[in-house]
Amino acid sequence: MDVLDLARLQFAVTGSLHFLFVALTLGLAPLVAIMNTRYVLGGNPEHERMTRFWGQIYVTNYALGIVTGLVMEFQFGLSWSGLTHYAGDVFGAPMAIETLVAFFLESTFLGLWIFGWHRLPKWLHLACIWLVALTAYASAFWIMVANSFLQNPAGATVRGDRLALTDFGALLSNPTLVMALPHVLAAGLLTAGCVLMSAGAYQLFRRTAERAFFTTSLRIGAVTAFVGAFLTVGFGYAQFGTVRSVQPDKWSANSLAGAGLGTMQTIGELLLLITFLLLVTIKWLPRRRWAQTVIMLITPFPFLALILGWIAREEGRQPWLVYGKLTVADALTPGLTQGRITLSFVAFAGVLGLLAVVDYLLIARLIRRGPALIALGEQPAPQPVLTF
Amino acid sequence: MEILWFGILAVLLAGYFALEGFDIGVGLLLPFTAERDRAVGAIAPFVLANEVWLVGIAGVLFGAFPMLEGEVLSGLYPVVVGLLVSWIVRDAGLWFRRRLDGEGWRSFWTAAVAAGSLGLALSWGGVIAGITGAPALLGVGYGVVVAVAFAFHGWAFLAWRLPGEAAAQGAARTGRALALSAAVAAAPIVVPLVALASEVLDRAAPSETLSVLSLMVLPVVPLMAAAQIWVWRVFRRGAVPTFF
Repeated sequence: MDVLDLARLQFAVTGSLHFLFVALTLGLAPLVAIMNTRYVLGGNPEHERMTRFWGQIYVTNYALGIVTGLVMEFQFGLSWSGLTHYAGDVFGAPMAIETLVAFFLESTFLGLWIFGWHRLPKWLHLACIWLVALTAYASAFWIMVANSFLQNPAGATVRGDRLALTDFGALLSNPTLVMALPHVLAAGLLTAGCVLMSAGAYQLFRRTAERAFFTTSLRIGAVTAFVGAFLTVGFGYAQFGTVRSVQPDKWSANSLAGAGLGTMQTIGELLLLITFLLLVTIKWLPRRRWAQTVIMLITPFPFLALILGWIAREEGRQPWLVYGKLTVADALTPGLTQGRITLSFVAFAGVLGLLAVVDYLLIARLIRRGPALIALGEQPAPQPVLTF
Repeated sequence: MEILWFGILAVLLAGYFALEGFDIGVGLLLPFTAERDRAVGAIAPFVLANEVWLVGIAGVLFGAFPMLEGEVLSGLYPVVVGLLVSWIVRDAGLWFRRRLDGEGWRSFWTAAVAAGSLGLALSWGGVIAGITGAPALLGVGYGVVVAVAFAFHGWAFLAWRLPGEAAAQGAARTGRALALSAAVAAAPIVVPLVALASEVLDRAAPSETLSVLSLMVLPVVPLMAAAQIWVWRVFRRGAVPTFF
């Protein structure tokens, strides 16, 4: 593989890893916030256990979202400095706004929520998780603004040998953003719904002692997954008209994009059908072992569809990085050597890949152990007596 | 407008060194203290709020100084890769070390925190040497300077947060001592930044871009500051959390 292939592969691998974790984060955030709200409003200890159990899974997943995201953010400057040189004055703006206005606040409020159990007043603690959810969605918005600019460089004109920002409003109302953003957010809900449903199904299948707890997880998951699937498919089809007008040969010129799209559509439609059937039989699910098996088996598919969707969207604009303006080859950092890109690819893919496996094993173990022993929100141990 | 965004960049960089400096410093001190859980617990509620300053720096470089971002990051490729990998390893250590019971597991990830912290301090030396045009060997020396400054700051932080405990014997516990050590931690970046100010300013984005950024970001600055202050008010004393 040459330098360009390696740089693209590095971005694809780190980006795919990032998205697997981020999509679940986006879906789980509002669900954990709702669980936390029910606990604060009603004071039911079962709702507190629910919040802590799913909250711990949420933050365990979040850890990998952060570290993969760091690599994404810095990679633009490392291996794609042609992009920052040519389009940085436009593309950089939403990226900067995302880091400062959204992620900065998200990370700060998440720290307050994780470590603020039993320390902050319940209402303020609850406000923190809602702010985390809100800023996570704001993050998704700005990242999609930036990505949509690459798909369809609206709001910018060529000045000299670089792009200049001329219409910020056009950046925000980009037709490739309007339907794609809700599509992605709904896919996050579908993913989170499947994870909740599947954790519940797994525990009920094992004849857990926590029957009520996991029946609730299963039902919340089933409803969320159906709503997510319905909106994902709906906003997916709603994009075809826009894509045809902006990138007419998106699905035909590149076989990978076409295959990714087709497989994703099949998975999405099957998930919509299955989650609909699960929703209408929701009352009987806790007692139907074959249904629980089906639920466990479908869990990987929303994750697979997420990756395929991105492959379709990103492969479909090749060879362009900024559609019609800057090719991927021209965006590569000038003088990037085979040695350097190999080093960084091995380091990033190796370290992040291993950590991703460890993280998923930890999440699986949390689900297996159930809500009895949850570190998040534990009552603090009494202060040790100081001895001098 | 360029001056304003240079000011924001400078505040973020100095703030990152002054705040994340003590997290990295405590990481560096972990091999030398017996009370590792207490030391990690002391920094735990601050880490997420501190490390995010560097994400903000990357954002400001990207949005307000895009030419500089491409030049600096790609020019210092191996050092920046080292910085990122160290950061990832340090964070993974913090998130994972208490997720399984067992001495071996916890020691392994504690070692990851220490190794990642050392990598971060040394990489920062390399980055600063790189942007000032100093030779690579000098970067290693500067990395040691950064590491010593961070370790001093971490020690002062532990003395302030865990007064009288074994992890921080000997340091003064006042807020003034902590402010002083923060200044020591920030010095390695502030000095070169002042020297390079005019070169950074030359690479600012055009005024249309900076206006949009100002319009979108400045109204949120009070909220960002309030959230940071809130973290300090909540976690400055009381029981040391056990999540990390």
